[in-house]
Amino acid sequence: MPRVLSTAANFSTLFFVFVLPSFLAVLPPPTPPSLPPSPLANVSSCTNTRGCLPTPATNNNNMASGLMYDGCNFFRQRLVLSTLSGKNVKIKNIRSRDDEPGLRDFEASFIRLLDKVTNGSRIEINQTGTVLFYQPGLLYGGSVEHDCNPQRSVGYYLEALLMLAPFMKTPLKATLRGVTNDPTDPTVDLLKSTAVPLMKKFGIDGEAFDLKVVKRGMAPGGGGEVVFTCPVHKTIRPVQLTEPGKIKRIRGVAYSVRVSPQMGNRIVESARSILNQFLPDIYIYTDHMKGANSGKSPGFGLTLVAETLNGCFLSAEMSSTPQGQGDPVLPEDLGRNCAKLLLEEVYRGGCVDSSNQSLALLLMTLGQQDVSKVLLGPLSPYTMEFLRHIRDFFQIMFKIEVQKPLDDERKGGDKVLMTCVGVGYSNISKTVK
Amino acid sequence: MQECRMDGKVKKQKKHQQKHSGPKAEKKKLKKPGGSVEDERKRNPKAFSVQSAVRMAKTFHRAQDIKTKKHHIPLVDRTPLDPPPVVIVVVGPPKVGKSTLIRCLIKNFTRQKLGDICGPVTIVSGKKRRLTFMECNNDINTMIDLAKVADLVLMLIDASFGFEMETFEFLNICQVHGFPRIMGVLTHLDSFKNNKSLRKTKKNLKHRFWTEVYQGAKLFYLSGMVYGEYQTQEVKNLGRFISVMKFRPLVWQTSHPYVLVDRMEDLTDPEKVRTDPKCDRTVSLYGYLRGAHLKNKGQVHVPGVGDFQVSDVNFLPDPCPLPDAQKKRALNEKERLLYAPMAGVGGVVYDKDAVYIDLPASHVNQLQEEVHPTTELVQSLIETHATLDTKMAASKVSLFSGSATLDPADISEQTRERERLEEECVWDPTTQRERRKVIFTEKEEEDDVSGESDSEEDDSEGSDQANDEDEPSQVEAGRKAKAAGGAPPEKKQKVEAEAGRTESSAEMPAFADSEDDLEMSEEEGDAGTPGDSGHSSEEEDDPTEYECGATEDLWKKHSERECEEEEEEQGSLRWKEGLQQKAAEAFLRQQEAAPNLRKLVYGSVVEVQEPEEEEEELGGLFRVSRPQKSKKVQANAPDCSHFKPDNHHNWDVEEMLDSIRDCFVTGKWEEGQDAATLLRQDEELYGDFEDLQTGEVHMSQTENAEDDDDEEEEIQVKMDDEEVQKNKRLEKKRRLKERFDADYDDDDATYFDDLKEEMQKQAELNRAAFQDMDDESRVQYEGFRPGMYIRVEICSLPCEFVKNFDPHYPIILGGLGSSEGNIGFLQMRLKKHRWYNRILKTKDPLIFSLGWRRFQTIPLYHIEDHNGRHRLLKYTPQHMHCGASIWGPITPQGSGFLAVQSVTGSKATFRIAATGVVLDLDKSVTIVKKLKLIGYPFKIFKNTCFVKGMFNTVLEVAKFEGASVQTVSGIRGQIKKALSSPTGAFRATFEDRLLMSDIVFLRSWYPVSVPQLYNPVTSLLLPAGQKDSWSGMRTLGQLKHDLGIRNQPKADSLYKPIVRAKRHFNPLHVPKELQKALPFKSKPKQQQPKGRTPRDLQRPSVIREPHERKVAALLHALSTVHNYTRKKAHTVQHAKHKEFLQQKEKDEEAKLKRQREAKKKLYRVMGQMDQKKQRSSLTGATKDD
Repeated sequence: MPRVLSTAANFSTLFFVFVLPSFLAVLPPPTPPSLPPSPLANVSSCTNTRGCLPTPATNNNNMASGLMYDGCNFFRQRLVLSTLSGKNVKIKNIRSRDDEPGLRDFEASFIRLLDKVTNGSRIEINQTGTVLFYQPGLLYGGSVEHDCNPQRSVGYYLEALLMLAPFMKTPLKATLRGVTNDPTDPTVDLLKSTAVPLMKKFGIDGEAFDLKVVKRGMAPGGGGEVVFTCPVHKTIRPVQLTEPGKIKRIRGVAYSVRVSPQMGNRIVESARSILNQFLPDIYIYTDHMKGANSGKSPGFGLTLVAETLNGCFLSAEMSSTPQGQGDPVLPEDLGRNCAKLLLEEVYRGGCVDSSNQSLALLLMTLGQQDVSKVLLGPLSPYTMEFLRHIRDFFQIMFKIEVQKPLDDERKGGDKVLMTCVGVGYSNISKTVK
Repeated sequence: MQECRMDGKVKKQKKHQQKHSGPKAEKKKLKKPGGSVEDERKRNPKAFSVQSAVRMAKTFHRAQDIKTKKHHIPLVDRTPLDPPPVVIVVVGPPKVGKSTLIRCLIKNFTRQKLGDICGPVTIVSGKKRRLTFMECNNDINTMIDLAKVADLVLMLIDASFGFEMETFEFLNICQVHGFPRIMGVLTHLDSFKNNKSLRKTKKNLKHRFWTEVYQGAKLFYLSGMVYGEYQTQEVKNLGRFISVMKFRPLVWQTSHPYVLVDRMEDLTDPEKVRTDPKCDRTVSLYGYLRGAHLKNKGQVHVPGVGDFQVSDVNFLPDPCPLPDAQKKRALNEKERLLYAPMAGVGGVVYDKDAVYIDLPASHVNQLQEEVHPTTELVQSLIETHATLDTKMAASKVSLFSGSATLDPADISEQTRERERLEEECVWDPTTQRERRKVIFTEKEEEDDVSGESDSEEDDSEGSDQANDEDEPSQVEAGRKAKAAGGAPPEKKQKVEAEAGRTESSAEMPAFADSEDDLEMSEEEGDAGTPGDSGHSSEEEDDPTEYECGATEDLWKKHSERECEEEEEEQGSLRWKEGLQQKAAEAFLRQQEAAPNLRKLVYGSVVEVQEPEEEEEELGGLFRVSRPQKSKKVQANAPDCSHFKPDNHHNWDVEEMLDSIRDCFVTGKWEEGQDAATLLRQDEELYGDFEDLQTGEVHMSQTENAEDDDDEEEEIQVKMDDEEVQKNKRLEKKRRLKERFDADYDDDDATYFDDLKEEMQKQAELNRAAFQDMDDESRVQYEGFRPGMYIRVEICSLPCEFVKNFDPHYPIILGGLGSSEGNIGFLQMRLKKHRWYNRILKTKDPLIFSLGWRRFQTIPLYHIEDHNGRHRLLKYTPQHMHCGASIWGPITPQGSGFLAVQSVTGSKATFRIAATGVVLDLDKSVTIVKKLKLIGYPFKIFKNTCFVKGMFNTVLEVAKFEGASVQTVSGIRGQIKKALSSPTGAFRATFEDRLLMSDIVFLRSWYPVSVPQLYNPVTSLLLPAGQKDSWSGMRTLGQLKHDLGIRNQPKADSLYKPIVRAKRHFNPLHVPKELQKALPFKSKPKQQQPKGRTPRDLQRPSVIREPHERKVAALLHALSTVHNYTRKKAHTVQHAKHKEFLQQKEKDEEAKLKRQREAKKKLYRVMGQMDQKKQRSSLTGATKDD
């Protein structure tokens, strides 16, 4: 099957060369793109199609319903929701007042990943990279390898991929390389221990559903590798997660690469000292990776997960500051702070931890036309924006009810009960035989 | 049974009555002395024992099979509590009695007569059911559209004629688009004079109908007409059937919202229409929502028109409501409502833009004549409207007064006039404009209201602040708001623009009071029309924006590193510090205040676009290019899902730790789940038991205690106590039962039962979730639910839709799913319909009906090879499925479709060309067709060969290096390398030596692209009367036919007389050696004729003398005679000899006989002698001796 190739000229520019699928096509020798002085000053437009000539997507029936946004914040949300809903999206003023205007490398890398898992998507970026037009294609899936830009960790890319993966045409097997753990984004360990069981609650299951850390790579160097596999699902089950239950155990991973293996133990000790006040059932694994599996930069960190009786997972994590950026952190401090973060997370409560709120809300939205309920902790700003975006893309509004704790209860702060009726989304990419 | 019903009276057979007393009953009792199965088992255990394990297994297996076969996949029951009217589509060929049937049914249910059946007619048929009747005309477009929305189809069949093509076409359409309930109705049965032929016809038709629908499908007989109507009793029976019928949920219908439009209003500005009659129209469409929930601002498809974005949806009070729930048997006359706006009948209708008065309570008096005055009222209203319109003075009051001036004297005269008028008025665009006049005044009013509210808002800011002071936490915010001075938001913006540095400080208070502002406007929205709060959008949105900023800022505050970066960016930070502080506080406040969270997230209901525009225009000519930190920074902030922790919480403090103590299993449990409580409960249940070994009786402690209590208690409270005791016992019993059920019932529950229960629970939850909310807010969350009467406003409809509006054609709003508005490649499984009399050609345009849509597109047919390759086919196979790829609207996989060649007119033949199902959706296709490239050898070495003529350039050859080639004679080979000259020639090696006459070919697969034609069938836009004449792209055949083009046939393809050259075969040559060895029989004889004898060997011919000739003739004659006599003698001799032989044989036989006799005699004698001898030997040897 002839496939349109997309060749990267350099990371900051999206440049695509089309190979005509006709066997008689004369392939001109690929000319290197003449780089203008500004690294981002390059018009790029790409359409990725499998097995067909790229065609200008014309809608005969004047109903190209598109949405318009400003600024690069919530970039992933917009593109992911656009892909799922099939609506075009145009993002303007991307860092237009910035000294370095336009899209960053990691965003370009994200677009490229999206391009890899879809078929027929159309991406247009203007000269300066401040305006992005995205016309989504169909989710294709399959075996995908991607070198994530080390400016952001793999979690940045994986968060979006988790949202898209169940709706592919063929089961996804994504190999992502780059930074697996950094302080800004949710780490791979966190997603593995919270997002994956959360998705299982929505009926996304099967032995193929797995997230594996093959190699660990710390910021800034990266060099980690993650394999994410997800089976294809036609529909999503509605859920009623209104009762988080009590926390029965706390698990965790204290990882360290290219530092002394003792670091892990020091982290574990300090974290336990705080958590043991609540629960005896605490086990924190130490994961020290060596050699080829240890990435390019040194670092360490801790991921803590509290599991409740009803199978809800609350998590907290902390990583050491990347090498050469800011003050170094003591493993003891890190362990203690991380444990406190977990307590904070427990204080917030709910059935879904704060970093996976948007994933849970998305899966509720995409469910059958039934009522789903999820109890969350206080909504994060990211989630709030996500709710607005869901309304834009799917016309779904959530009923938001604040549940105040009773006076004699000692269960943390306010909780928010989110209720919605699903859109009745079904996977339109999947092939029926 | 059918016959019975036909007569109209259902005869009930007399039932057998069992005697309860008397001698017979006694006898019966004696005969059967309570012989239960149990008893019989005891009496005859062998009869009930297992005879054969295999047999038992088989019976068990069979029972299970039957049980499992009954299972259907359980679905969540999503039917609303008050369902929409059932859509009954009356279908049939022309002149079969459709309108008459509808009229009769309506009369049956509502006691009202309807003239022309225009558009859907909704009636209340019972306490729980409403019906919408829709007549389906003979147009295939209408049939397709209505088949998609029908719940029940009444299929009218003219029994005197038999089935017509339309009936079968409609049945096939139904099969494709989910099968609604179908009930056949036979009409024209009175045309049969002969009773026997009537019965025979009925039977034949019934059985044919059964094969099409299902065995035992209901076929109703309408025996004859009485005064132009069907017999009352029969119609009543049919009505009963309809009103108790159950419907199966159809997949497409339950997953998509749809509206069968029963009212249409043109809202376009009349001035715009006047200046540009062809301008796009804004139209509001009304109808009951069916199927799934409809979201506002969604996309809909109007079959026959196209796809549109809904600009607004409102729900209206039900124009034809079900009666209030009262316990009574039948509906009274007032509740038998009829609503058919397109036919000019309906109640008083209030909606957003107008008040309509149509036929109020026309059914109060049953007499038909009484209806006229009411229609007249409507007419008079319309009339006055028109006059007012011309006078340019439109007001509601005058409208009514105009009608009041109506003279009752000329009622009868007007009636006739207006009846005619009414028919026209439906079509007349002037009436619509007139109606809009009312809208116009309404709108003006609205504007006024909005203006007022604006000013109100401005005014009330002061009072707002007063409100703030009530809440102690907001005092500070209120103070800041005072600083802002309650300026309207636009002014705020200007202040910002003007002031450079101070602007930022002005911004802060604006932000601080923003929330209150928002709250205010929201309150207003609640008080007024919440759906239409567009006027205050800006005021509401701006604060929301700021609040986002606020939350964001809060988040930023905690991520200190980022803050530092910002510091560098912004330089001065003092004001911003304050802002962050405020923002954080505001955020916390919102976290605490319950209803604010919703506003915080969603703002008000309106969109968030306008403020941007405002900003751009700011400053008139000049645009101020200021960095606008607060907003832009937020818009371009790093995209991160982490929720930074609240720094207020210090987790070193014991109180803080205590606050989450109960989140852990080690903490305190709830009352019901506490281990101690559970234990106690268990004890209550299982506390008393007797230890059988020791005989010791354990009593539960609680009971003991109670007993003690009882003893202690006085008798005064005995009554109460007993009550308590009873309750306790009951409670205990219940718990015990629950426990028992949980323990033992689960074993029996299968997976299926569990699933069903789960679905049931979900259905209950769905109903309960939004039950106690008012509809206004409920529609925001779950969308408009089915059963609501809604008004859908659509902008930019083509003007033809309004101009050529014909209420006889259904208007359907079919809601589209999230990505169903897009277009892509569809791969389908297709089969030519077996009744369609031609096969379909690839790339011939075809009209598909898929999802809601009807469109023309160009399919490519293909078939999947064994290796998964999709190979293009030129034509569809005759009796097989094939694949088809089209460019069309994205429709979920598994949706059925049908295809027709044209929708124009009606042909005698079956029109449905193909049916099938969507398999796959994609943005590209992978169909290939076979391409053979031919080349000729021009130089042959041993097994290597130079081939030319296959390619044109070296590059092309390079692409195909290593490809396998073949000659026609079957010698396989491989392309090796390109040759320098001639260009395009290459070297190839083969498995054998080629000949120069060989042809080399390369088999390749060439990708085919699907033509991107998507042409919706816009049949509704055609002028009235021509709506069934839509024609799209013509097929190649049609084009050629129309233009008179004939293909020039290839000379080689023409038929010519076959001339065959005579074949010559060489003689068979057998070698001499072989010849010698052969036996004579097989030896080649001298088969060839002798050559001419040479002259020397030729003998001269003898010429006889006349005498000689005479002699010879005589000799010849003599010899002939001699021969003859000899022959004769011979025959005679032969006969004699034969006789002799016969004689001889006879003698011989006689002789033999004689001999046999003699022998017999002899043997007898010998035997006798022997016997004698034996006898003598036995007696003694004396005689012999």
